[in-house]
Amino acid sequence: MTPARPIVIETRRLGKVFSVDRAPIVALEDISFSVPEGSFVSLVGPSGCGKSTLLQILAGLVSSSSGEVLVDGVAVRHPVPDKISVMFQDATLLPWKRITENIEFPLEIAGMTAAERHKRAAEMLALVALAEFGERYPHELSGGMRQRIAIARALAPNPRILLMDEPFGALDEQTRIKMGHELLRIWAKTKKTIFFITHSLTEALFLSDTVLVMSHRPGRIVGVIEDTLPRPRTYDIIGSAEFGAARNRIWKLISQDDDEAAEGGMASL
Amino acid sequence: MRPLVLFAQAGFVFAVIGAWQYGSTAGIFDPTILPSPSQVVLALGKLIQSRAFLADAFDTVTRVTAAFVIGAPIALATGFVMGENLGVGRSLAPLFNLVLAVPQSIFLPIFVLLFGLGFTEKLIFGITHVFFVVAVNAMAAVREVPHGQVVLARSFGAGKLRIYRSIYLPAMAPQIVTGLRLGIIFDIIGILLAEMYASRSGLGVLLLRWGESYAVDKLMAATVLISVVTILINELMRVFEHRVGRWRQAVEFQ
Amino acid sequence: MRRLLVIVVFLGAWEATRRFDLVGPLLVASPGEIVGALVKSWPDYLGALRFTVTEIAIALAAAWTVGIATGAIAGTIPFLGATSGPLLSSLFAVPLITWYPLFMVWFGIGMTSKIIYAAVSGFFPIAINTMNGIRGTDPRYVTFGRAIGCSHRQVVFRILLPMAMPSIMSGLRIGTALIVIGVIVAEMLASLGGIGYLISYYRSIYATGHVYLGILFALACALAANWGLTLLERRYTRWRELQIAER
Repeated sequence: MTPARPIVIETRRLGKVFSVDRAPIVALEDISFSVPEGSFVSLVGPSGCGKSTLLQILAGLVSSSSGEVLVDGVAVRHPVPDKISVMFQDATLLPWKRITENIEFPLEIAGMTAAERHKRAAEMLALVALAEFGERYPHELSGGMRQRIAIARALAPNPRILLMDEPFGALDEQTRIKMGHELLRIWAKTKKTIFFITHSLTEALFLSDTVLVMSHRPGRIVGVIEDTLPRPRTYDIIGSAEFGAARNRIWKLISQDDDEAAEGGMASL
Repeated sequence: MRPLVLFAQAGFVFAVIGAWQYGSTAGIFDPTILPSPSQVVLALGKLIQSRAFLADAFDTVTRVTAAFVIGAPIALATGFVMGENLGVGRSLAPLFNLVLAVPQSIFLPIFVLLFGLGFTEKLIFGITHVFFVVAVNAMAAVREVPHGQVVLARSFGAGKLRIYRSIYLPAMAPQIVTGLRLGIIFDIIGILLAEMYASRSGLGVLLLRWGESYAVDKLMAATVLISVVTILINELMRVFEHRVGRWRQAVEFQ
Repeated sequence: MRRLLVIVVFLGAWEATRRFDLVGPLLVASPGEIVGALVKSWPDYLGALRFTVTEIAIALAAAWTVGIATGAIAGTIPFLGATSGPLLSSLFAVPLITWYPLFMVWFGIGMTSKIIYAAVSGFFPIAINTMNGIRGTDPRYVTFGRAIGCSHRQVVFRILLPMAMPSIMSGLRIGTALIVIGVIVAEMLASLGGIGYLISYYRSIYATGHVYLGILFALACALAANWGLTLLERRYTRWRELQIAER
């Protein structure tokens, strides 16, 4: 076991209830986990289980109904862009700005000087290996490239934590695999703490140190799988017996939860 | 939120009328320039009973209706042809769009020069207002037809009439109704303008005459009446638009 | 080169139809007559142009600012948008020309009444399009803005308004056309001066050449305004054109 690292993200009995048309919907229930510094943690779970809601709470975009979210020991109540960066399935690059201007945008909001911004943007472009595309517009790039720019933009303010909500969900499988490799390379280089949400068990196990398994709604953590496969990893690792075993463990957790849902009646879906 | 929104809208309208009435009673507004709401309502009541007014109103309505009834079918047919036949469409469409880009009101003087402004001429002026916008929308409506479905239906052996009824019509209906709605609005604008510019009868003439003679209560009554009627027509067409488009995924813009 | 030839031939044929009395003098003016009118009365036209352009400029300034501001406010505050949106679209259907006689009573027949009439005409499409442009923005962009720490003001000015630019531009185009034509048509009905006033006057004395010349001036105003807008569009929405071109 690696020596204990400081905890950067911690949730304690986190809960979220939405009231829609006066009927309460429990999105999240009793979520507790902690994320050590520099680790890569994934969250898998079925559709609609509240994964995105959880990420939005972690990002400070949505408030929790109960429990706590702590980043570096401080409660999160609003976005903290210098510490936490967020990435979504859609790159949301501003279409009227060039790539460089897009990467510089968060830095502009944060008040960085122009010279510093240009320098930082150039560094980030080099990091994601897209330096020649700085003067292009977003629509000129492919989906995968746009996501790489989104990563560059997310890392530009040098945050400690990167929250990612199914960032590769809209890409085809080959691009997804390549992006996975890219992400691991960037992570190894920048040593950020990454919290990654995905549908895909394979992707989660391929990328992470720890996989949190979430139930259907109301979302609860039903399992925590430690992924001790050696690094650096390449995609062929998914053929190994260890990988298969870990994936089966996750699958069992999810199916168990599914059966309970079926027993409990369709109303809980 | 819906009931609250309606409440706010109604509240706004009442507040405006209330402030207006207050201004009039408090003497803030000069009654020879801005009559009170009660005076306007009174004048309106008298107008509705006045045979002369009704005659002029009838003239206007006749012109508007005639222009629409003649112009719309021709425009629809033209629009369909433009939509179906790509060659025709590509050559005519830019011209039509150019015409729509410049409000046709500007050509009224030329119209008067060329044709004078008798009933027929006013009718033609109204028809041109109806024609272009309905045709362009009809052309766009043709593009709404899902050709994949048509091919599929044909492969099942569906007859032409059946296909028109169950695929073409529902697909085209919303866009066509939008065109018709705009057509009637432009028609009203065109006819009223023509009447104001050079006519001996009709609501337009009355408005201009009352304006020049400072008969403000009648003027305001007629103006508000025309506005309300036009709004009602627009809203009715919108409801119709909505109903024929109900099968579509509603994009919530308005 | 070929285009120039076509234009010359067209003008020649046009002149010929008048010279040889193929069409009556009251109906169509030949190019010669139009040029003659210009030579004879250009000071009047210049003065009228100044009058009209002033009205147009003031009306444009008013409609653009109030329109965009209203649309922006209605677009960013959901309750206001839901309330005023339908109100604005309903009012847009009203034939505003019918209110011109009232405006004449209230504001006289000088520049003021026309400016107000034209400004109100232009206001509606600008406000409606701005509002729709902002409301139609993908909410994920707003989420992105908040996540990187944008203040409410920054979200509106740095994200929503640029995003809504194509819609706003379209509204400006419609509004500007309505304003230019609105001013001239109002002048034709009752005015102290302006291009529309000249057009009406010359029509009443059947000076056909002068009437056509006036209409040409009016069209020139409309085209100039349109051209100005295209320049503006190019500056602010180039990305959209490129985006569409890419497809």
